[in-house]
Amino acid sequence: MALPTQVEPSFLHRLAKHAPESGNWTAIREQSLKEINATPFPHKKIEEWRFIDLKPFTKIEFTSLDDAGTLPATDIEKFFLPESDRSRLVFINGRYNEKFSSIGGLGNGVTVGNLNSFTDNSVVEKYLNKLVDYENDVFVPYNGLMFEDGAFIHLEKEAKAEAPIQILNIYTDSKKAFVATPRMLVVAEEDSDVTIIEDHIGLSGNEYLTIPVCEVKTKQRAHIHHVRIQRDSLNALHVSRPIAYVEKNSEYHSYTINLGAKLARNEPKVIQEDEEVDFTLDGLVLIDGEQIADTHSSMDHRFSHAESHQLHKVVVNGNAHSIFNGKIFVRKDAQKIDSFQENKNLLLSKDGLVNTKPQLEIFADDVLCSHGATIGQLEPEEVFYLQSRGMTEEKAKEVLTYAFALETIENMKVESVHKLLIEEVYRYTKANSVAKVSA
Amino acid sequence: MLEIKDLHVVVEEDGTEILKGVNLKVNKGEIHAIMGPNGSGKSTLAKIAAGHPEYEVTKGDILYNGESILEMDPDERAHAGIFLAFQYPVEVPGVTNTTLLRESYNTIANSRGREELDPLEFDDYIKDKLDLVQMNPDFLERSVNAGFSGGEKKRNEIFQMAVLQPKLSLLDETDSGLDIDALKIVANGINQLHGEDDAVVLITHYQRLLNYIEPDFVHVMIGGKIVKSGDKTLAYKLEEQGYDWLEAHAKVNGEAV
Repeated sequence: MALPTQVEPSFLHRLAKHAPESGNWTAIREQSLKEINATPFPHKKIEEWRFIDLKPFTKIEFTSLDDAGTLPATDIEKFFLPESDRSRLVFINGRYNEKFSSIGGLGNGVTVGNLNSFTDNSVVEKYLNKLVDYENDVFVPYNGLMFEDGAFIHLEKEAKAEAPIQILNIYTDSKKAFVATPRMLVVAEEDSDVTIIEDHIGLSGNEYLTIPVCEVKTKQRAHIHHVRIQRDSLNALHVSRPIAYVEKNSEYHSYTINLGAKLARNEPKVIQEDEEVDFTLDGLVLIDGEQIADTHSSMDHRFSHAESHQLHKVVVNGNAHSIFNGKIFVRKDAQKIDSFQENKNLLLSKDGLVNTKPQLEIFADDVLCSHGATIGQLEPEEVFYLQSRGMTEEKAKEVLTYAFALETIENMKVESVHKLLIEEVYRYTKANSVAKVSA
Repeated sequence: MLEIKDLHVVVEEDGTEILKGVNLKVNKGEIHAIMGPNGSGKSTLAKIAAGHPEYEVTKGDILYNGESILEMDPDERAHAGIFLAFQYPVEVPGVTNTTLLRESYNTIANSRGREELDPLEFDDYIKDKLDLVQMNPDFLERSVNAGFSGGEKKRNEIFQMAVLQPKLSLLDETDSGLDIDALKIVANGINQLHGEDDAVVLITHYQRLLNYIEPDFVHVMIGGKIVKSGDKTLAYKLEEQGYDWLEAHAKVNGEAV
């Protein structure tokens, strides 16, 4: 059902012809196809992409998932969270896997399952693909065109999920590079409460592009705690589009931990829909080698009385490159806003690169918006202090890097996730100090 | 134990000379106080002995138990038994006091051929040391110095000294910023820790600390040199007369102050 292309075709435009011919989501597909054909693949001349050279990535010969020769997922049980043994959805390369999934342990009023089994659900009909809002973006419509499966989480009024819900996205090794399109829809009705752990794991070092799109609706007085862990293959591209709407007296707290991928572009958005809300968009980025991690976030304050928090911490080693563009909008009548934004960067190597751009657009006059961005190395005085207590220089640097990164993961509510992230941080700092010794 | 010979030290970054020929000898069992006005080089002397990388020795030597330590890294000096209590203890958010101290204790124990302690044994070991500086046990699980008051930070330094049991303690203005009660606690801790086999060097502005800790020797440092040494009565004289008479003396000898 390809339409004539109006823009210079990229690999995504070419792959569009592999869109499923039959099945569900026909309306979404038709709309997505129109958008794809009207939207160019991003390049450096577009302001929002000027820090990244995407050319090397467009040269990768991506193929459709069916033609990629993907290998089966093995030994993935180790990634299952013990807390979620009966509240887990597993997707392999974006496709639902019933065998590894386990649902039913969530109590009354909580629906969790594969989107594809809920095509007639009124909540799905009402919200799916209606919440995404990214301008001039080719990735969201590509996901819209290609996805078949996805995670659906719905909490009825006053429902409390009894366990954290794990959305485990596994990417397997493959003969050819492929594109995966994970999809999520989360709707929390009035007074409900849920914790979601979204994990993306590359099992091998292969090339793939994953485009997770996640839509979240937090209704009045609902609470959502959303952890997103990205540990993709070091040759993967990860372009994520998580968007959340917060209604009156609701809370949405999101924590993104970026460890993997060669290029990760994360564009989280939170949009305020009424007064008295509280939201968080924290991030931790640990990168090394040739990795690029780019966060373009947006916190849109449209009504009075909001509290928002964004702590974005970054550790850069090797030739890695971090980009942070944090947009904070405060609309004209949105008074009494208390917004905090801080981007702290720790540069461990001479060749690492950090671009940071806090971007505040404030049109109201009675607001408190604090923001700051720092780029620094480890303080020699701190290293000396620990050395004077008997630690070697390497150990001291390791401890300080570890301590720097740890602040962002203190708020993890799920014990095993907290532990897992501490181990990931430790592995990162350890690997880096070993690398430095041998260099 | 410690012998400093004609020590000249510059700031590595800009070459400014801070120490201009310091001589000092400290024996086992002794307490030395080094006094002097701001900018005289007292703190630099302590830091350079502990191996601070910001400074460079251009001439002279520092001997510890008869051997030069100039080529040793700060951690190697700590392993050998040298301890510096910082004038401005560094905050290390994310690392608890216990973690830091167990790590330190065990590396130092290891290098001195002592038994390492497992976490349980270590807990028992440090409980007694807490009493010495009258600190609350929940303090152990707090991040090192993070959000501590000035007085707590200084007490934490002495607590670390108690745990690590150094041979040579260099205490850099440990008394500054303490109220009188905290000063007594800190002084009492130092007195209890000091014995026949170790030595203490106190760097201080004020004679007040010396009301509680009796030094065997008092040295006055001005313009990067020790210009006067004596017994504790020298401290009283400084308290009464200030440093002016010694500064004049230093100028007479042709030294820039």
